[in-house]
Amino acid sequence: MSGLSRHIETLSALLLAVIWISPLVFAFWAAFHTTSDAVSFDLTAPWTLDNFRIAWAGAPWLQYFLNTFLLVTIILIGQFIVTTLAGFAFAQVRFPGRDVVFILVLMQLFILPEVLIVENYVMVSRLGLFDTLLGVGMPYMASAFGIFLMRQAFKGVPIELHEAARVEGCGWFGILWRVYVPLARPTYLAYALVSVSTHWNNFLWPLIVTNSPDTRPLTVGLSIFAAPENGVDISVISAATMMSVAPLLIAFLVFQRQFVQAFLRAGIK
Amino acid sequence: MTDPFVHVDDVAKRWKGQLGVEGITLSIPRGSFVALLGPSGCGKSTTLRLLSGLELPDEGRIHIDGRDVTTAAPSERNLSMVFQSYALFPHLSVAENVVFGLKVRRVGAAERREKLRRALEITGLLGYEARKPGELSGGQRQRVALARAIVANQPLCLMDEPLSNLDAKLRASVRKDIKKLQVDLGITVIYVTHDQTEAMSMADMVVLMKDGHIQQTGAPEDLYYRPANTFVAEFVGAPPMALLDGAAVPGFERAAKVGLRAESLRVAEAGQGRLTCRVSECEFLGSETFVGLTHPAANGLTVSMPGLKHIPPGEKLEIDFADEDLHFFDAKGNRVGHPDTATA
Repeated sequence: MSGLSRHIETLSALLLAVIWISPLVFAFWAAFHTTSDAVSFDLTAPWTLDNFRIAWAGAPWLQYFLNTFLLVTIILIGQFIVTTLAGFAFAQVRFPGRDVVFILVLMQLFILPEVLIVENYVMVSRLGLFDTLLGVGMPYMASAFGIFLMRQAFKGVPIELHEAARVEGCGWFGILWRVYVPLARPTYLAYALVSVSTHWNNFLWPLIVTNSPDTRPLTVGLSIFAAPENGVDISVISAATMMSVAPLLIAFLVFQRQFVQAFLRAGIK
Repeated sequence: MTDPFVHVDDVAKRWKGQLGVEGITLSIPRGSFVALLGPSGCGKSTTLRLLSGLELPDEGRIHIDGRDVTTAAPSERNLSMVFQSYALFPHLSVAENVVFGLKVRRVGAAERREKLRRALEITGLLGYEARKPGELSGGQRQRVALARAIVANQPLCLMDEPLSNLDAKLRASVRKDIKKLQVDLGITVIYVTHDQTEAMSMADMVVLMKDGHIQQTGAPEDLYYRPANTFVAEFVGAPPMALLDGAAVPGFERAAKVGLRAESLRVAEAGQGRLTCRVSECEFLGSETFVGLTHPAANGLTVSMPGLKHIPPGEKLEIDFADEDLHFFDAKGNRVGHPDTATA
């Protein structure tokens, strides 16, 4: 009985995994074959790198990569600064109305970012940040999720460490920098993981707020490259998609174990 | 006599109307070892935190080294602190933990190295510099906490039950180490403990507290031989002092309570004793046996008998004592010189 149910569990898990990964596998297959071979699923068809050559020549990919890289970096730095300071204030600084303000911040979690797109667009334009990387990243810097995560991590720091640092002569900022931040490292790592993958893949907002190849991130560049007016060539689009997701995918595969551990450690605390 | 090194004047601290401590007045001479002793919840840790500046008093003044530090930040009070949980930074190595404060205060690298080496040498931690606190035993962590407290040469060191996480054997040896350290460095130590053995064996001055108030301040022998009230009498000493109703002791009927230490009691021949009690239990300690006694008018009567004794519970035993070994307390529990003054 238990043997059977275990088999069923394993089989369903495998099935789900196959369904989940099949688009990626197909894109991978298509990227290395001619269009006709890709669609006909001829397993003996010869492999080719031509699709990549064509795709690479078709758009300023290097610029897109650089933009995406800069974008996720700017967002992550901004988020670290804001969530650290806000999380610390909510966790350890006593000020009137703290709980009310914290609940207001948490309410942000209920609001989909897409709802605010028009409002954000107006605000970014008014700030003169339209079509800049800073403008793309700014709405995400004060992340409610990040503030909540940091607050929880900081609340888990034993108060004696805070007091010991105070006796040793640390001010507020010194305590934060020398005690809280290093102790919350697993949380930072886990959060960075979520943030980078989210913003690497973010599409709608960058599509709206960018207007030129100088600021366009990979996702927007890829969608313009794959737009029907350029003619749909499934193999070339697959090759371009593979290029877009490759850096993140490889990084995940290489650091898989550390990532999982970071999540576990951040969760346990 | 010069001014006291630490002077606490009528300090009180309350939380939302609830009493923390009240009327705390202390004068602590430079270079002395002071133990704040009392049962849990008596306010001894609060007193220490008020001294450290981690809490600020609602009333009263605190002077350290002639300076009014009542509202000063902990870092401005020139003191170091050892926490009950040691409060070592888990992400820093032993060396980094010890020099943490020096680094914060921007002491030069060369001086830092020299002070670190000295502090580790004194605490016997040379060779452990690169370890993380998580890789050390309880006793070693405790020594790291001590090293961190002495590295900056602060003249005052506050310790909050630093031995309570150690096993009994280690506790006895670390106790000696701490005392020796304090004498060698000539620092003033204020030490919180609930263990009267620690307080009695290490301190020059014991401050016994209960319910947020100081019960008695004095040398260990003062507390033992001249307890100020019945609480002190029953808290200090193992076994604690026995208290008898004055009415039960012939000749001293006018005292409300009469106190007697175990070592002042003798077992008397039948018919010769001054009190007849029943044996309740025998506690064998090796060189002696404490025989617990019950008497309708007494509380905590124990007589110490040499060697191993087995007396069946319920057996009658007569005891004798000398008049000069008696302690007298009035109806409020305060010590009085002689029973006749008790009613005056």
